[in-house]
Amino acid sequence: MTDKNPNWILSALALYEKPLLRYGARLLGSSEGARDIVQETFLELCKVKRASVESHLAPWLFRVCRNRALDVRRKDKRMQPLSEAQDLKIESPDDSPHAIMEKSQDAENLLGMVKKLPESQQEIVFLRFQSGLSYKEIAEVTGRTVSNVGVLIHTAVKTIRDNMMRSGDEPNALEGAL
Amino acid sequence: MMFKDEDPRLTAYILDELSPEDAAEVAALLAADADALEFVDSMKETTQALAASLQNTDFDSDIGEMRRMRIAKAAESASKQSAKRLALYAIPFVAAAAVLALVVLSKDGSQAEHVVTQASSNSSAEANRETFGRRGNRAPAGEMESSTGLDSSKVKSGLLGVFALHGRRGTGTAAASVDNEVNGDTGNRADAYRPSVPAAEPTNGLDAQTRRQMESLGYYGGEDLPIQQIQPPPEPVAESSFVHVVKDPLSTFSIDVDTASYSQMRRSVMGGWLPNPGQVRIEEMLNYFSYDYASANTSAPFGVIGEVAQAPWNSKHKLVRIGIKAKDIEDGRRRRANLVFLLDVSGSMNNADKLPLIKKSFGMLLDALEPEDRIAIVVYAGASGLALPSTAVAKRGRILNALRRLQSGGSTNGGAGIELAYKIAQDNFIEGGVNRVILATDGDFNVGTVAREDLVQLIENKAKQDVFLTVLGVGMSSHGDTTMETLADKGNGNYAYIDTLNEAKKVLVDQLQGTLVTVAKDVKLQVEFNPKRVAEYRLIGYENRRLANKDFRDDTKDAGEIGAGHRVTALYEIVPVSEESGPELRYQKTNRQSTAAADSDELLTIKIRYKEPTGTKSKLFSVAVADANTSFSSASVDFRFASAVAAFGMVLRHSRYKGDSSFAQIESWADKARGSDLFGYRAEFVRIVRRAKGLQR
Repeated sequence: MTDKNPNWILSALALYEKPLLRYGARLLGSSEGARDIVQETFLELCKVKRASVESHLAPWLFRVCRNRALDVRRKDKRMQPLSEAQDLKIESPDDSPHAIMEKSQDAENLLGMVKKLPESQQEIVFLRFQSGLSYKEIAEVTGRTVSNVGVLIHTAVKTIRDNMMRSGDEPNALEGAL
Repeated sequence: MMFKDEDPRLTAYILDELSPEDAAEVAALLAADADALEFVDSMKETTQALAASLQNTDFDSDIGEMRRMRIAKAAESASKQSAKRLALYAIPFVAAAAVLALVVLSKDGSQAEHVVTQASSNSSAEANRETFGRRGNRAPAGEMESSTGLDSSKVKSGLLGVFALHGRRGTGTAAASVDNEVNGDTGNRADAYRPSVPAAEPTNGLDAQTRRQMESLGYYGGEDLPIQQIQPPPEPVAESSFVHVVKDPLSTFSIDVDTASYSQMRRSVMGGWLPNPGQVRIEEMLNYFSYDYASANTSAPFGVIGEVAQAPWNSKHKLVRIGIKAKDIEDGRRRRANLVFLLDVSGSMNNADKLPLIKKSFGMLLDALEPEDRIAIVVYAGASGLALPSTAVAKRGRILNALRRLQSGGSTNGGAGIELAYKIAQDNFIEGGVNRVILATDGDFNVGTVAREDLVQLIENKAKQDVFLTVLGVGMSSHGDTTMETLADKGNGNYAYIDTLNEAKKVLVDQLQGTLVTVAKDVKLQVEFNPKRVAEYRLIGYENRRLANKDFRDDTKDAGEIGAGHRVTALYEIVPVSEESGPELRYQKTNRQSTAAADSDELLTIKIRYKEPTGTKSKLFSVAVADANTSFSSASVDFRFASAVAAFGMVLRHSRYKGDSSFAQIESWADKARGSDLFGYRAEFVRIVRRAKGLQR
């Protein structure tokens, strides 16, 4: 009945490793930096009681990871978020989230639109549509209220919808392309 | 409800985030209002397109093996900690078990969840408040408290398999909340929620023990120490002293074919100062030179000789020279090579004697390789990366271009680089071939947030999977020396120091086979002395290669490797048995029961254990060495030269065993023992000794 088994942390690692790395890489613009903060996130996890986090593990991990990323960004102002940091240039092509995202033309267009959103909206769009967090979890990660999250998502989706319509790219046509 | 396209409930409806009442309201609106329906349809398509495009990125990055090991280790020790705490709280545990029973008995899943959420919500809400308070962005407490409830949309969306854990919520959380009940200290929890608070800050609720534990894992949460620097302890290895044969007739050590200490010493002396005694490793100086040892004529991958003569620095002592020569491999027969260059391109590598020298050296190595061999280049600095994917040597232009493009800059994170290099080596693994990572660095080596032991362990693991490591040191920085030696040692590899292009040629071209092709691994040497003839013995050098006698037979104990054509030389100084060799013992015999062999003229027996390069079981062979009472002047040229090199090392180390050795003596011994000296190395040694003599105060 005790919590002697350290495996729960390893299963959490297996589940969340990639989503967190992707999230971290986006926040820092560096896959290597993402590895550092994700490691730190899981080392934090080792320090807390399982019961205190397990019921909301995903938002907890994303939140800790986010705090770490913000710390790194504050510390290293040179690192521009969401841009190609110079150290990405020698990253293996398979490793760079940017390179992968640019594989498909549609994805590129859509991604370009997401990147034009205000950063607060971008972050929430990624947490929802890439990491699959619920409104409540996003609220917990970002320190916003659930209704605030709802407004931001709605505004973001609406902006993208309008852009798609304006560029003559009917959403209907887009579905076929995907 | 009226249709307004800025109503966030419409998106929440699409994403299944509404309460049943709100959802019903929106559904009613859609049924009544065609514009609303059209709008929501287009919004739904947009959300689907977003999800598809943001998830459809087969993201290939992972956290890496060392970080994974590190986390596993931390998890392990955290769970031990928690078990310990639990024992202290046995009584509340009983009470908590009752809660657990209640939860398990409850058949209705949501009911169970409710109980569980209640049990843990107090503390987590507190943690949340703490966090949000500090952020200055506090969420309404009520909202946060409800946030632990399970939302059906999460399970439905199942986007990344992220929510698989939630499937086991019922009992999993129940068991966990028992632990929570038992260890109700909230200090840690609030702290963990805010990880940017340095762990070493004494007021943040972390107890001293936890802190120590984290520090021992190499983890510092503090912002000022984001990167743990490898700082090898500057411990000069104490030299071996004489051992009484009666006390311990066995001497065991691992072979060592590194030569770095010699080139470092040369650079130092030629640069005008005597080297730091702690950096003088006599075995590496001895093994810098080739001696004329007979090749293997047996099935063993190497031949062994033993030679005994008078010690030049003490006429009453004798020297035993043990020489091992690994068999050569004909050029055409070398196995195919899969090499991954791991280059340090950090700012400190900018000097002409570092990265540029390395680039030129690798250019030379390229010429010596076969077209079907493969080379990849991984660089590390602020970030690590692949500068050249594994490429056939036939495509010289591409490889040279990649080398040319490399520039130094940024700080060093060797850990990630090593990991990537091993990954590339394994991805391109050549079965039965030479699979090797060649690390070139000035030793300003930090491994990011990864602990040094983890790095060593990684290298050890990879060596077991037959990817070996060669370390090439450059530049003057000496503080990475011990680290480099350890890494090469654990990686079944060798460590050479490159100070000139000439040295690069020696290591990478002339001794290509030896550097690249391991003919035997875990080579251990054990010498058994005949107590009837030897009173005391002392192994010269190999201080950090000594093994416990019992490890000789232990195949799990790692030891040195030997490459094709490599020569290994070890010298023992012995005190022969005579009237003066010690007080007569009144109550015990000096040698309990001697065998017939003890009465022969055998001085000692050399026993060698080794494994085939990919083998796991060791083989043994042994050679007996007899004493012919040879004087120093009539000993072989190699014997005399090796003695001079060892004496030079002892004088540089200020050894108390150096006897009559002096730079002048050594120069004369070495000068008379130059032999054929094909490459001029021995002549160079004589020049070095002469220069050292001039530097003496």
